[in-house]
Amino acid sequence: MTLGSHLTPLARSHIQQADVVFAAVSDNIVEMWLERMHPDVRSLQPYYGEGKPRIDTYREWVEVMMAEVRAGKRVCGVFYGHPGIFAWSPHKVIEVARWEGYEARMEPGISAEDCLYADLGIDPGTFGCQHVEASQLLFYERSIDTTGHVVLWQIGMLGNRSVANPDQGSAYRGLLVERLLQDYPGEHEVILYRCATLPIEHPRIRRLHLCELPLADIQQEETLIIPPARPLRRNELLRQRLAMLDKEHAA
Amino acid sequence: MLDSIDMLEAIGQDASLRYATAEALATDSSLEDAPEALKAAILSGARSELSSELGHRVMQATQVTQNPGKEDDDEDEDDDKEGSSLGHNGLKASNG
Repeated sequence: MTLGSHLTPLARSHIQQADVVFAAVSDNIVEMWLERMHPDVRSLQPYYGEGKPRIDTYREWVEVMMAEVRAGKRVCGVFYGHPGIFAWSPHKVIEVARWEGYEARMEPGISAEDCLYADLGIDPGTFGCQHVEASQLLFYERSIDTTGHVVLWQIGMLGNRSVANPDQGSAYRGLLVERLLQDYPGEHEVILYRCATLPIEHPRIRRLHLCELPLADIQQEETLIIPPARPLRRNELLRQRLAMLDKEHAA
Repeated sequence: MLDSIDMLEAIGQDASLRYATAEALATDSSLEDAPEALKAAILSGARSELSSELGHRVMQATQVTQNPGKEDDDEDEDDDKEGSSLGHNGLKASNG
């Protein structure tokens, strides 16, 4: 999301009407902007720790937010982009709050996904668009649809469970490329993308060959977009059956 | 007097300012009284220019939650059993 541009009126209202606001935003300037909207904004950033499993941090976020809810406060958690996309804690804290009988809801926001469609001119309705967290391609057997766009999120954090070694580097990406070469040629053009956070910035868009990925300088906020490599194939069997259905309906 | 945070918000909310060229933005009358750090950041395209006014802090920008391990999934299931039925206030998660 971009400062000043992408905060919805309803989200701003939730922030302003809360008793306490917890913030997990990507940028210290964005956090300062948020502090202008409410006198009690508490950053969740200090809960990260070098070598500390991220999941422990995210569990602590749920606990500190729930502690205020249990104390009778109206609590608002502010997360960059869309709070429900690539964010474990917002889903979990709402689940826990509801389980305990509290009213809780999530407001949608403008995510990096929304920005990339606009900045790169991609319509997911044209060829389809598959979204996968990049590390999942290493941890799990996943099928890739090369006839549509494939978006690999968090490629800059490949295999990283803590905040130490934020870029575990070319060897990890080499393994990812090895996996991708099962579906794409090495010279296939891919895009590294990062949306603008400040309104004086431009989106960062870099095009390179897939085989160049291991040695690329990749920031932790960047996303990899793989354009289609093959044309859509006609499904003649289902087309025939559709035609038969059309005839039946016309009769 | 507006500071850089106020002016960044104003730029982000104004269609003509948001997509103006750096030169046009830096000389726009609405930014006449802008802090020098902001003008320098606009002209150079480098947000680091703002650190003299707003400071700099390394932020963890990405929530990594999908690179999994079965052990995490098991712990999640345990968490699901912890809740109790209490109270009535509210909690919201908003985009920021």
